[in-house]
Amino acid sequence: MMEKILEVKDLRMVYNNTSEEKLVIEKMNLDVEKNEFLCILGASGCGKTTLLRCIAGFEKYEGEILVNGKKCATPGTDRIMVFQDFNQLFPWKTVEKNIQYPLKKQGIKDKAELKRLSDEALKKVKLKGYGHYYPYQLSGGMKQRVAIAKALALKPEIILMDEPFAALDAMTRNKLQDELLTISEEENCTIIFITHNIQEAIVLGTRIMVLSQGGEILIDEKNPISRPVSPSSKGYGELWNQLHEALYKKNKK
Amino acid sequence: MKKSNDFVYSIIVRVVFIIVALVIWEVAARQNLFGENSEVIFPTLGSIGKAFISNFTEGYAGISFWVYISNSLRLLVTGLAIGVFASFILSGLSMISRGFYHIFNLVVSIFDLLPGVALLPVIIIMFGIKEEVIILLVVHAVIWPMSRNVLDGFMAVPKIYVEAGTNIGLKGLSLLTGVYLPAAMSYIISGLKVGWARAWRGLLSAEMIFGIATCPGIGMYINQMRTNMNNAEMYATLIVIIIIGLVVQYGILTPIENCTVKKWGMSK
Repeated sequence: MMEKILEVKDLRMVYNNTSEEKLVIEKMNLDVEKNEFLCILGASGCGKTTLLRCIAGFEKYEGEILVNGKKCATPGTDRIMVFQDFNQLFPWKTVEKNIQYPLKKQGIKDKAELKRLSDEALKKVKLKGYGHYYPYQLSGGMKQRVAIAKALALKPEIILMDEPFAALDAMTRNKLQDELLTISEEENCTIIFITHNIQEAIVLGTRIMVLSQGGEILIDEKNPISRPVSPSSKGYGELWNQLHEALYKKNKK
Repeated sequence: MKKSNDFVYSIIVRVVFIIVALVIWEVAARQNLFGENSEVIFPTLGSIGKAFISNFTEGYAGISFWVYISNSLRLLVTGLAIGVFASFILSGLSMISRGFYHIFNLVVSIFDLLPGVALLPVIIIMFGIKEEVIILLVVHAVIWPMSRNVLDGFMAVPKIYVEAGTNIGLKGLSLLTGVYLPAAMSYIISGLKVGWARAWRGLLSAEMIFGIATCPGIGMYINQMRTNMNNAEMYATLIVIIIIGLVVQYGILTPIENCTVKKWGMSK
């Protein structure tokens, strides 16, 4: 019996921008188990980012979201978000300080300990030696690595990733996918990862979901392909076709 | 290499400009443009230079010019400190309370338009002539433009910094000091620039309109020189005012900029 780390119960989310009301998620139920790498695929506007923002506590919603059985309606360090935007690091802090600052706020005061933790996190994302750089001196890919390092250092229950690699070039993207895969296998962490990219979902996810308009779950299954995944892996083509069909068919209506 | 060339070029251009301007001044001064008393009205560089030195060595009526300068700077620094501190507090409160934000916004808009000198008669009638009145004018000069910039800066903080901040457990005061303040730094610095310049001008105007015998300042000194027709000393005092301005700009404001927004890549 696996341990449930996240439960989403009857989630409903309506955006109230100006006078218009937009129903983004009609009714969603979702359980995530510990150490799962859940990839969520979906077309733009299907509510996947909204789902992540609700879990992170950035939005007001109806229904319940529980982490380890406890309700959480406001942001907290047990759910750390990695955004798509490269500018999620504080530009006024060095890479190292960006990682250490949240730890300090958690009550770790010892400087040597903070240094050890940030070095360790930077090593995991292969940015050893970049601690003293300011974010503006880094490339987009490096900034995303730092954001991931920052999340890892906090050891959250769940890491929420909202298309973190979507704005990167294809080569950097593949490289970061490989690294994230290694990290997720080495660390005990639960990740919810949002993407538009079918390949990315198959390579990274231990479980893959396809969402449609209103947050309707079209597909939700364990990834049957054994890791490491490549296009020549057995079952890759079938799975790709199945996901592709679910993603695009529904949108043609 | 290119950068240092640019720097040398900028220095050369400025030095040449200053030399040309001084030569023009000197030539004009020797033409006796203002009749037989021209030397008094439009003194040569030599007599201005002498006056510059005698300002400091002799002063006026037994009071050294240093006393005037230190009085002015003391009032300026006191007023600036109060004004900047108050504008942070008030802008911070505006971020916490929506109602306060609307009211404060209105107050800033109203008072930012009122020149301190125009308020002077009212303030004098209320409080009389004392140095606190000048401090009040300096506070008035700095608090509104500073608040306007800090408020605009807070409003312009990208949503992603705020979300990243709340995500790592910041809220209320820690969010204000940990995210809003550094993120709004370029606005805060431009507020300081505008605020300090207005305060400096406001201070000198106030001192010229009424000098306080117990606390004579630079503005009062210019007025005393005018009544005595010590015109070379007047010009020399203007130079001192400019030098103080340059020291504040390049000795204080530019370094602040260099070790914050420039260092962080938030400004070029």
